[in-house]
Amino acid sequence: MKGPFIGFQLARKLEGYGFQICLLGSAFIAFLPFYWAITISIRNPIETFTVSGLSVPFIQFQPTLASWIEELSIGEAQRALLNSSVIALGTALGLMLLGTPAAYALARFRFRRPNNQNLTIWFLSQRVLPPIVTVVPVFMMMRQLHLLDTRLALVIVNITFNLPLVVTIMRQGFLDIPIELEEAALVDGANHGHVFWHISMRLAIPCLMASMLISTAYTWNEFLFALTISSRESITVPVHMAGAAGTRGIQFWFVGVRVLIAMAPPVILALLAQRYIVRGLTVGALKG
Amino acid sequence: MQPRRRIKLLFLLPATAWVLAWTVFPFFYGLYLSFFHIDFGSEDRFIGLGNYYRFFSDDNALNAVEVTFLFVIGSVTIQVIMGLLLALMANRPSSSRGFVRTLLILPLFATPVAVGFLFFTIFYEEGGLINGILGIKIPWLSSPTYALSAVIIADTWQWTSFCFLILLAGLQSIPDEVYEAASLETMNRRKIFWHITLPYLQPTLVLAILLRITEAFKVFPIPYTLTRGGPGNSTLVMPMYAHRAGMRYFDFGYSSAISFMTFILVMFFIIFLFRSIRQAY
Repeated sequence: MKGPFIGFQLARKLEGYGFQICLLGSAFIAFLPFYWAITISIRNPIETFTVSGLSVPFIQFQPTLASWIEELSIGEAQRALLNSSVIALGTALGLMLLGTPAAYALARFRFRRPNNQNLTIWFLSQRVLPPIVTVVPVFMMMRQLHLLDTRLALVIVNITFNLPLVVTIMRQGFLDIPIELEEAALVDGANHGHVFWHISMRLAIPCLMASMLISTAYTWNEFLFALTISSRESITVPVHMAGAAGTRGIQFWFVGVRVLIAMAPPVILALLAQRYIVRGLTVGALKG
Repeated sequence: MQPRRRIKLLFLLPATAWVLAWTVFPFFYGLYLSFFHIDFGSEDRFIGLGNYYRFFSDDNALNAVEVTFLFVIGSVTIQVIMGLLLALMANRPSSSRGFVRTLLILPLFATPVAVGFLFFTIFYEEGGLINGILGIKIPWLSSPTYALSAVIIADTWQWTSFCFLILLAGLQSIPDEVYEAASLETMNRRKIFWHITLPYLQPTLVLAILLRITEAFKVFPIPYTLTRGGPGNSTLVMPMYAHRAGMRYFDFGYSSAISFMTFILVMFFIIFLFRSIRQAY
């Protein structure tokens, strides 16, 4: 009886190693484009097509920061970075003010007609709508309001897109807090606003972090509306980056720098807060 | 915990009003616009379903429908299967799981337009990464068939992790007792997968597929910078075609009609999927 058992164990162990290799391979593939972007951004333009394959810096070519310095000294690039940051912060603030009270109401108060479940589904259902459907109408509305090419318009648009996500994640966050704490405070004479702000919000900070980080990254990455609404003054990083896609795509060094400038903030956010983010993504998906 | 009516509304109303103003109103405004012929300099003219008739006799539009379908089916199928395989492999304690998960999260947050632009250099025929590493010469971006695969590959690179993460969470929520019971019943591992893991995972799987389909129909930034819809219009997906009609030719009425056709197709797709899933069980 011993022989086959050992064989079985060996097979499982080998299988385990096989799985590990597959997983590490997929992690490698996930990282490879970032690595590629870094290497092409520090390559000397002359060496773009002479170096091939993995192109390891220092071994296959001598790295240079010239392209970085050139790109960062462009006025439009600086303006785009500033605009994208302001828009992301403004959106996060707006989402907190609008989204968290609504999430709290859905988690804690009982509505009858329409009831809580239908209200939650109503908020969520917007994710099915392809954003292209509202591009032309929102463009016309912004023109009427004289908001074309302003940061405010993009803050408004991004709040609209991320509201369902924030409401779902925060609703689940509030549901996970034991209700007894809030009830005790109410018995002690606190009002609902006070309980919400001083107790529930404090306890839901991990969820707040998750929802704010995810929506900030999505706001930074938003392209369709930024392309439609902003042109000069309120240009965002993705629009600035795409501006040269048709003409300068062949200039690899230039692509590398712009792509990294665009990707760095959301990717670094994701790295710093990955535990929150995994929770946020799965809560938003599984329990919504 | 029942506060007075006024307080309840105070909490819920701002977000509700916001959605009504910036999602519901534009939605119906767009529907209204799709019934008009809009031309700058002249009065808007009501043409009923004219824009929709035009859609069905417009070869570019029908091509966009086909390209969008191919893209959605191709990318969602690959992403869900790969995500599932990876999640099954990662669903056991190991020293490298955290590391692997960290790296897999990165593509999810990479700016999509930048992904398109970066993959343009990766797929570039001369000196690009893929042809360089594999030592082949595939015309990724200049041949219509390969161009669509290039868009699907870039999209798959970005979104497989999403399927991986939710499916892994789904697998981890299956209680251990179920597996213990199964091993007492001396089921072999293939049986365990088909009779226990998959049925338990089914709601998560359906959810992953639905979320990916709705997201895949929103495809815009990646083809915008990777292929610009070309060569020809072999990667011109519906959102891009609608955007082009609206923002380049300022044909707002027709653009709205194309957008609504996209929306109708998403709904069709989802309802059809739900039907067939319900029939299968």
